[in-house]
Amino acid sequence: MSKRTLPRLLQTPAVILLLIWMLIPLGMTLYFSFIRYVLNNLRRPEWTTPSLSNWRGFGNYEYVLFGAKDFWFAVKNSVFIVSSIIVLTVVLGLAIAVLINRSFPGRGIVRVLLISPFFVMPAVNAVLWINMILDPVLGLQGLAVSGINELVAGLRDAPLIGWFFSLWPEIEPISFRATQTSAYAVIIMVTWQWTPFAVLIFMTSLQSEDQQQKEAAILDGAGAWAQFRFLTLPHLARPVAIVVMIQAIFHLSLYAEIEIVSRGNGNKNLPYLIGEFASNNIGAASATGIFAVILANIVAIFLLRMVGKSLME
Amino acid sequence: MAIVAQQTKFSKIFWPVLAWFIALIFFFPIFWMVLTSFKTDADAVKPEFLFTFKPTLENYLNMTANYDYWRFATNSVITSVFATGFALAVGVPCAYAMAFNPSRATKDVLMWMLSTKMLPAAAVLYPMTFLTKNFLGVFDTKFLVIVVLSLINLPIVIWMLFTYFKEIPKEIIEAGKMDGVSTWGEIKDILLPLAWGGLASTALLTFIFCWNEAYWTVRLTTTEAATLSKLIEGNRAPEGLFFGRLSAVSAAAVGPIIVLGWFCQKQLVQGLTFGAVK
Repeated sequence: MSKRTLPRLLQTPAVILLLIWMLIPLGMTLYFSFIRYVLNNLRRPEWTTPSLSNWRGFGNYEYVLFGAKDFWFAVKNSVFIVSSIIVLTVVLGLAIAVLINRSFPGRGIVRVLLISPFFVMPAVNAVLWINMILDPVLGLQGLAVSGINELVAGLRDAPLIGWFFSLWPEIEPISFRATQTSAYAVIIMVTWQWTPFAVLIFMTSLQSEDQQQKEAAILDGAGAWAQFRFLTLPHLARPVAIVVMIQAIFHLSLYAEIEIVSRGNGNKNLPYLIGEFASNNIGAASATGIFAVILANIVAIFLLRMVGKSLME
Repeated sequence: MAIVAQQTKFSKIFWPVLAWFIALIFFFPIFWMVLTSFKTDADAVKPEFLFTFKPTLENYLNMTANYDYWRFATNSVITSVFATGFALAVGVPCAYAMAFNPSRATKDVLMWMLSTKMLPAAAVLYPMTFLTKNFLGVFDTKFLVIVVLSLINLPIVIWMLFTYFKEIPKEIIEAGKMDGVSTWGEIKDILLPLAWGGLASTALLTFIFCWNEAYWTVRLTTTEAATLSKLIEGNRAPEGLFFGRLSAVSAAAVGPIIVLGWFCQKQLVQGLTFGAVK
């Protein structure tokens, strides 16, 4: 056995398994995206079995892009949800990471409390937030709103200050089950879950910051903001880029939260739209899938480049 | 230290208090879920029982009757454990070979493996359903869930193990070879003791990812192999009537994982950033 044979042999199972896992389903998606293929069609029963004789060329792509009304909405909504989550998690994550980077009493416990949301399974996250926290009547939101309204109503009868509160309006709770508001609900719950991830990454990176440089800056009279702006922020550029890209890839395939929060109310992203198409029009579902792959790849290429650089160090 | 001396009395009190406040806000939904799980369904939606209520274990005791919890939990445990085991069994030899006998292609192979992780699952939803239902006949079996879970985590497993193995000095292995240690002995007596920590935390993290997975476990199962994700997803809208019992089953589904998660924070950074953040 030559020196090269054993290492190759050890890598073979993993490589073959991943090849099968990637190529076969993706190849089928590509094939289905070029043929007419529906699950139910009484008038054209021949379309219900995948076959090359139902070749449609780019017809499915054309249909998805220009015929189906939901595609562009789903793309815009995906981009809106993903970018909102990214902005919120990065800003919150930076602030919290800087805040807990110094030592203070109970820092260990604070870290443990902060990281916990990240380990909550997505299904529980969504059910918990939409029902018990955001529900306009029975959730905490509903309880808080009715509590405030009752308090204000009580104060209206109070002597001296009563007139002031009689001018206050009744607060209306927000329903998070409409098309647009349920997108906000998804953004809130995913931000809650992924801010801890950003904090963790930024904190790890902050700990490798050059302390001598920082002390020198302090001796030179640099204030807290100047230190952050000119030392910490440039140091964090790379972790920020990585957090942005990893989240983009994960959240572009966000599914459980959308399914639980907004089933049937019109709020959809690309994976959800694919699921809807897949209940009958497999050709359209596959073409949409290929678009989703392209969208994810645009982000992935940047991430892979960045990761690749640090790979062999 | 200069930094400490610079702190005023105000910042010494204000910033830690703020940090505690934020941490409590972030933890509050979990706390709220656990608190609600000890209320009856009727108490759970009454504002006057926000914090003062008569705690009950009823919701936990009735989890089997209400949700058939243990069947789903057993499926979650079985699929996550075997998927983790399978991913490690395939991943360890691969990462070992890549770290200790790298070739010119190693970097590209690693990058390619990572790129498979970035394919959106939804894109291959129908082919997977078609293949497993009509072709292989494994739809809604634990076998299928195990295979899928281990394959979606395999790139991360290999990647994490690779970064761990790379840290082990090659000289130690070389010295072992000089002394005539066999390949098996090299792995058992030299490598394993050194890599033990890395292996354990990789396994732990993979287990957590498997447990929380919520796309394939929902789409490729119906009843037989359904996991806890599927159970919770199926009770997405309890109409406010069952907050108590739903909280109990949710807390039971995520509690153990949160505790496990506390122990592998550092590995999480490594595993999710592919070693790019140190």
